[in-house]
Amino acid sequence: MTLPDSNALSLLPDDMAEACERFPAALSACASLDELNRLKGVYTGRDGSLSARMMESLKSSPKEQKRDLGAAINTLKKTWEEGLKARLTELESEKKRLDSVKNAWDATLPPPMPPAGALHPLNRLMDRLVDVFRPLGYHVEEGPEVETEEHNFDGLNIPEDHPARGTADTFYLEQHSKLLLRTHTSPVQVRVLKRLAPELEAKGGIRFLAPGRVYRKDEIDPTHSPMFHQVEGMLVGKGIGMHHLKGTLAYAMKALFGPNADVRFRPSYFPFVEPGCEMDVHCPLCGGSGCRVCKGSGWVEILGAGLIHPNVLRIAGIDPEIWSGFAFGMGVERTAMMVSQTPDLRLFFENDQRFLKAMGGLD
Amino acid sequence: MFLSLKDLHQELPAVITTSVGDLSDLIASLGFPIDDVAEGEHGPVLEVDITANRGDVMSHRGLARDLAAKLGKELSTVDLDPLEEGEPLVQVRLEADACALYSTAVLTLGALQSTPEDVKKFLASLGSGSKDLAAVDASNELLHRYGHPTHAFDADKLRGGIVIRYGRAGEKIVTLDGVERSLTDKDLVIADDSGPIALAGLMGGENTKVGVDTRRVLLESAWFEPRVVRAMARRHGLHTDASHRFGRGADPSMARIARDLLAARLKAWAGASLDGAWTEGQEPAVAKPISLTKELLHRIAGEPLSIEDAAAILRRLGCLVEANHLSLRAVPPSWRHDLSLSEDLAEEVLRLRGYDLIPSTLPPVKADPEPLAKDYQKRHSTARRLASLGFFQTVTLGFISPEADAEFAGTPAAGRILGNPLGYEYSVLRGSLLPSLKHAAEHNLRQGAREVRLFEIAPTFHTTSDGPEEHSTLSLVWAGETGGLDPITPKGPVLPAALQGVLAALGVPGAKAEVQTLGGGLLAAEVAMADIPDPSERVIPNFRGFSRFPSVERDLSLVVPFELSFGRLAEAIHGALAGTPLHTLTCVDIYRGKGLPEGHQAWLLRLIFQGDRTLLGDEVDGWVDLALDAARSQKAELRG
Repeated sequence: MTLPDSNALSLLPDDMAEACERFPAALSACASLDELNRLKGVYTGRDGSLSARMMESLKSSPKEQKRDLGAAINTLKKTWEEGLKARLTELESEKKRLDSVKNAWDATLPPPMPPAGALHPLNRLMDRLVDVFRPLGYHVEEGPEVETEEHNFDGLNIPEDHPARGTADTFYLEQHSKLLLRTHTSPVQVRVLKRLAPELEAKGGIRFLAPGRVYRKDEIDPTHSPMFHQVEGMLVGKGIGMHHLKGTLAYAMKALFGPNADVRFRPSYFPFVEPGCEMDVHCPLCGGSGCRVCKGSGWVEILGAGLIHPNVLRIAGIDPEIWSGFAFGMGVERTAMMVSQTPDLRLFFENDQRFLKAMGGLD
Repeated sequence: MFLSLKDLHQELPAVITTSVGDLSDLIASLGFPIDDVAEGEHGPVLEVDITANRGDVMSHRGLARDLAAKLGKELSTVDLDPLEEGEPLVQVRLEADACALYSTAVLTLGALQSTPEDVKKFLASLGSGSKDLAAVDASNELLHRYGHPTHAFDADKLRGGIVIRYGRAGEKIVTLDGVERSLTDKDLVIADDSGPIALAGLMGGENTKVGVDTRRVLLESAWFEPRVVRAMARRHGLHTDASHRFGRGADPSMARIARDLLAARLKAWAGASLDGAWTEGQEPAVAKPISLTKELLHRIAGEPLSIEDAAAILRRLGCLVEANHLSLRAVPPSWRHDLSLSEDLAEEVLRLRGYDLIPSTLPPVKADPEPLAKDYQKRHSTARRLASLGFFQTVTLGFISPEADAEFAGTPAAGRILGNPLGYEYSVLRGSLLPSLKHAAEHNLRQGAREVRLFEIAPTFHTTSDGPEEHSTLSLVWAGETGGLDPITPKGPVLPAALQGVLAALGVPGAKAEVQTLGGGLLAAEVAMADIPDPSERVIPNFRGFSRFPSVERDLSLVVPFELSFGRLAEAIHGALAGTPLHTLTCVDIYRGKGLPEGHQAWLLRLIFQGDRTLLGDEVDGWVDLALDAARSQKAELRG
């Protein structure tokens, strides 16, 4: 701000001179457009303002001073106008800035989240297994939970006097003594084999997974439940051997646990397969170096399998001299507990949202 | 089964230098995983998991025999002192087919008897302590060492001759465990003139028990039909070391040998002298020969194994084998009841070679892959949809209490009741999923959850004369308070309308989308999966034209009596505007506050018109007037 000659201003009355001196402070004290407008009125307004009064006083000032004083007043007025304009720009841009801040969302505040539920971890694992086997051409077959002895036992070469048939192991219906709650997903095998037997030659083979709920008469405790889940798999073709079972399951475990998943097969016994085997995978937790989960062995048992027993094919009306195949079955809870280290099976059936949220998701 | 390493070494010296870890792996590779290894006074004891088909390995000798076959090593020799058999001292009659062979001997015990210390330690290491009775301890030791169960009766307590027969209705026996058991005609018993004195293959009777005062013993070493023993064990809930072995099939050729070994131990441990030994019956028929072709072996093994190698393996297992280069015929040894098919032989060959040698490859299958079934896809996509709408999938038991079922199920529970449930509260196959979901929701609320959103997709069971029919069902429960978790979304109670919206989003038709209130602020719905539309056959449906001309939107503010439903009003308006380009009619606001006549509310209706040309203001005004007339016919009035 260029100020006029102070000698000239000293000719003004005291109150005006003081007002002139106060202007810069008053200008910077203006925090809003209203205040600025009021200040503008006081200093440069048309009537009664300081500049108007100074022009008035010029009329009555001594002639020899008029020229100097007039010039000084003009300079002052111009300075004030420039100052007011500059302050106006400042205030306007400040207001703009504030407005934009007011409308902006603080990105560090919690945003409204779309609702997030979850699939049950057991379902997720079963879905994943289906995904793993889809590229090999497996589809999903399902069967009822209330089954006949014929499908649950007879068709699977399970002897008449096998303990699993007893009422201590299997739930039977009160009014239908031949109906039971399936004890495994294997009756789906029997149903599919029987259904497809007549068209097997035309189809060229069978491949499917059968995930589902099964029931056994176990009391509820940290490792047992009277209802649990299995995923069964079956393939029928010509010339199918143990090497095909091994190749299929080795692929599946790599797809499930990663490319380094190693598997090992041990002989075992199930009435519906021959030869039978159990498969271990390298402990998913320690990777095989030995830990609590694998009891230090580096291996954990993951499923039972084998080549379909010729009697099972025969009962379904399929000639075991022509057709052969393999079947495998996995306990879903057991595997889920192992991979997640869930300490208690009951957590899967308690349905606490905190558990479901932590263990679930959508994949 | 418990296996003392020291005593395994005794049977198979070749593995003395094998480490416990390597031996465990070796045994597991034969099909018998090791559950645990314990270190005791008698040395390491392995807990071995024996498969149900292999009674023959349920002893130290038996497992050693399988290992010896695997390793191609020799078992140690057993000192045998066969008893000279003569005329029966007591008459033994075999009346039931289920007992083919009954070998026995009578011995008089000396004044002193003691079980050797190492035998006591052996028994203790297997969790079966010494009874300080030579006959009992020796029988136990033989069972664990050689696998054949034997029994000793107090000969002086026997009344008359012995008969092996089926039980008779009304007969009873008190077994050695002190339990009185009622017999049926399916129970095979050893009886004397006084009645049953033992349950064959399970347990002896209290009345002929050997004690400290016993002077003379009658030894029993027999072969009982596995099926009969299994059924008896199950019927009486009496699973013993003997029943496990007879039930899985004992070796009939061991009957005499076990008797002789038992007698020899009594002579050595109790100064016993032989009064006489004899055998009734004979070993059951020798197993039939089984053939195995090179072709089948190749198919199962995945590589062309030689028949000569297979024959050598089977011989190591005790089979009598004849072979040429294309096939073999094998007669299994007397202890291998599990071998009857060609596939069984193939498995034995692979088992002894080691499953790790089997090649690994994906199978060639000509069959075309099939798509996933519609029902499966629908359940899957519904579950995913609900999870992304904020619902948690639950898994609950399929059976519930009769009371819980009755509260929600549409049909009576009869026909859905379990005959042998775990308990009353698990006795009915549920007719509705809601009781289980309600229970889960209440659990979550008790645990302090602000909002609970649960669903389950599972079968519900419905009574028919042929048994329960299963209907795939979806249930949802929503409770608590929603929103209020961020600075923008207001908090509020869960409203039935919101659940209705979820059902509508799933495509459930309005008539089936009933929202129930379960008390405690729980909102619920249950719909049959069949009522949710199937996924479309086609990825992309047929093209349907749509108008690119601007739509015209008009709001109509009405005062309506409470009795009028939106559905009825909408129907009236749609009826009146049939043929006009009315595209959407909806209600966008409801007001029930002050300033309205008693018994009325205000609705803000929105009508959207869209045609295949630009609509004129005047014509739209005309349609809105028609809509208003229709509304008036339903006693709605324009709000002033």
